[in-house]
Amino acid sequence: MGIRLHVWGDRACFTRPEMKVERVSYDVMTPSAARGILEAIHWKPAIRWHIDRIHVLKPIRFQSIRRNEVGAKASAANAASAMRRGTTEGLGIAVDENRQQRAALVLVDVAYVIEAHFTLTAKAGPEDSAAKHVSMFRRRAAQGQCFHRPCLGTREFDAEFALIDDGDPLPPSELPVDRRDADFGWMLHDIDFANGHESRFFRAEMKDGVIDVPPFGSDGVVA
Amino acid sequence: MTILQALDRYYRRLEGVAEPGWSREPIGLVLLLDEQGVLIDAEPWLELVGKKYKPKLEAVPKWFGRSGTASTPFFLWDNTSYVLGVSRKESAKVERDHEAFVEWHSDLLKETDDQGLIAVRKFLEGWHSDRFVDSPFKPEYLDQNVAFRLLHEKNFVHERLAARKLINQLVQPDHDTKQIFCLVTGDRGPEIRLHPKIKNVEGTAAAEVPLVSFNNESFESYGQKQGANAPTSQAAAFRYGAALNHLLTRDGPNRVRRPIGDATVVFWADASDYQVANLAENIFGNAVDPQRIEAEAARKLAEDLEAVRKGKAAKQIINVDQDDIANGLKYYILGLSPNAARLSVRFWERVDFADMIGRFANHYNDLLIRPSPWQAPPSVKSLLTRTVVPDAVRKGGFGKIDKYLSDNQGLLAGEIMRSMLTGTPYPRSWLANAIIRLRTGDNPGYGWHAAACRAILFRNQRLRRQNPDIPEKGETPVALDREHRNIGYLLGRLFAVYELAQIAALGRGVKATVRDKYFGSAAASPASIFPLVIANGQNHLAKARKTPKSAGWAVLIERELTAIMDLIEPVLPHSLPRSLKLEDQAEFAIGYYHQRSVKLKSDKGEEISLAAEDDAEIEQGDEA
Repeated sequence: MGIRLHVWGDRACFTRPEMKVERVSYDVMTPSAARGILEAIHWKPAIRWHIDRIHVLKPIRFQSIRRNEVGAKASAANAASAMRRGTTEGLGIAVDENRQQRAALVLVDVAYVIEAHFTLTAKAGPEDSAAKHVSMFRRRAAQGQCFHRPCLGTREFDAEFALIDDGDPLPPSELPVDRRDADFGWMLHDIDFANGHESRFFRAEMKDGVIDVPPFGSDGVVA
Repeated sequence: MTILQALDRYYRRLEGVAEPGWSREPIGLVLLLDEQGVLIDAEPWLELVGKKYKPKLEAVPKWFGRSGTASTPFFLWDNTSYVLGVSRKESAKVERDHEAFVEWHSDLLKETDDQGLIAVRKFLEGWHSDRFVDSPFKPEYLDQNVAFRLLHEKNFVHERLAARKLINQLVQPDHDTKQIFCLVTGDRGPEIRLHPKIKNVEGTAAAEVPLVSFNNESFESYGQKQGANAPTSQAAAFRYGAALNHLLTRDGPNRVRRPIGDATVVFWADASDYQVANLAENIFGNAVDPQRIEAEAARKLAEDLEAVRKGKAAKQIINVDQDDIANGLKYYILGLSPNAARLSVRFWERVDFADMIGRFANHYNDLLIRPSPWQAPPSVKSLLTRTVVPDAVRKGGFGKIDKYLSDNQGLLAGEIMRSMLTGTPYPRSWLANAIIRLRTGDNPGYGWHAAACRAILFRNQRLRRQNPDIPEKGETPVALDREHRNIGYLLGRLFAVYELAQIAALGRGVKATVRDKYFGSAAASPASIFPLVIANGQNHLAKARKTPKSAGWAVLIERELTAIMDLIEPVLPHSLPRSLKLEDQAEFAIGYYHQRSVKLKSDKGEEISLAAEDDAEIEQGDEA
């Protein structure tokens, strides 16, 4: 059962793995980011989202920003011991001692349509059915409900979303006619959580503003 | 096309760039040995760079970086601590380093039968660091990088065939490393842990810093360490590193000479035909920095760009007839800025050749103003020097100018260059700065400020056009347009004519003209200042009318004044606006400049103009 979701936002950063520190964004949304948006709206362990197609609606533009961030990572072990001790002493990270300034090359003014479907997983119980989850998703997307606000790559760039019903036309594409075909090289498809968090890549090609995303286990997705 | 992939493609085009396992390092001292390992001489190995002598860059075997306190000698070359056991630093490490060097080489060169390698081994066996104090060594050789050469040979010992064989064995990729999917090439290969370091980016903390690095816990994902966060194969990593280092060579053809803001910018072209790509890169380099080439070539470039603007196909500039080459020809522009111990990507553009040439053409066209203040198209640096830097600083020389620009206008150069390369509007702060300069007394007759003002205004107007090729009414003109009705423009023209009246009355020898006193304030608040200007002007005209020589001029001036005043529409309650907004002040400067060079002709054939012959302010651009 397929759904179509229109997402848009002011800024987006679909970070390239190799430029993770000084972030450089991919030109278009990655399938893993699309999955993240859908999962923010509706997800249960019973279902697993698969992205079929990503439509790019607006021209690809970049902007460079520099932000002060924190260099230290909160330690899970410290948190666990603090929970045992019953006090939060020593847990805080002082920003001025751990400052890191990181530049980022982010996308400006983006809009996409995500076409996806889901499959039921082994954890699906007897009451779970595809129709039930589809209607849950549609209802939630139409009302604007979500578990947490969907984001375009990184949490600070939030996404607006709107459901496109069956039979409704897609929003018009604002891509210039001569820019609707492009080859983006190897793009991150998703992370294989079952096999040691390895990254999987696919060859991203945009034809007439649409990127066809190969299914996860297929030939198109390489590890 | 990702950045690393594009660099990888570029590597294939290069010849003579480092191979895997080798790198170009500065060598300052060469030890001449004979076949028995006896030291014949120690030659300094320097070349003249600018005004100083610096060690020459040579390709030497280097396949690992050095960090930490362990002694890790390089093969057949190193600094004086390792090779000779002497250094300016007094520490026990110097001895340890030298021991490590000698031991490793004795071990490796035990069974060689190559003359050069045997000589080095024997030299090291017989060397003691106390020998450094005698000739042929001099104290300034300390801490230089040292290489070896056999007497009567031209090559270094490390370039000999036997040495290369040994190096190949030492450099073999580690087959125990994990095989991963490389995100640059799409093939599998041994994983690289630490990505190659990039040299020659302005402002970095260290001499070489990596582009891709994960040197802090907070940058890691899913618990992956170092290179595992971005799986890349060793071969691909080496290639992109070598390509990027090659692009960044100082004063190289692919590097924009001055940093844009804090970003070092490199560019390259990509086409299936390498010669075409080289030509395209040349054009880009010339267009970005016209001061790099001679005036003749710069003028030809300006003509080419003008032709493109009028409709000639861009590909004809480089004589490319085949469509597939022309279609595949792209420019890549990469801006890197330093950030702590890493590099960040400031911008990354992939542009079609035709689009890029169009952008250059638009830039130089937007700057057009008649009469032209320059003979060859100006670079961004000279534009800034003449419109934003105070006169006093400018006269202090290039050093002072550079310092002023980097202290106060660090971002502006970058933003203007970015507008040129991407076709976006110029930064408005440029307009503000140019107007401020005029307000504080810079000479508006030079025309550079007017050109900058026009460029900024016109580009915004052009981008707002309904149809990009059809000019609309009310756009700021290139040359004097007597029908242009912008209030700022008309007031600027009026001001110029009143200044002419002063010259008609008092001659050109006046020390403080009406321009010196009132230009800035007249632009900012016309309602308060123009009454003074007009009153003075009437006095000047009266005097001019009475002097027989200038009586004819007075008539011409009055005619011009009436023509301009007719176009000004009064704004109640005053007839002139209380203040002009920034864009109108810019038009004021443009109108003044246009009117200045107008020669008013009388029926008898007399001519006067504000810009006299000896007042010609067309100066050559500064040396960049």
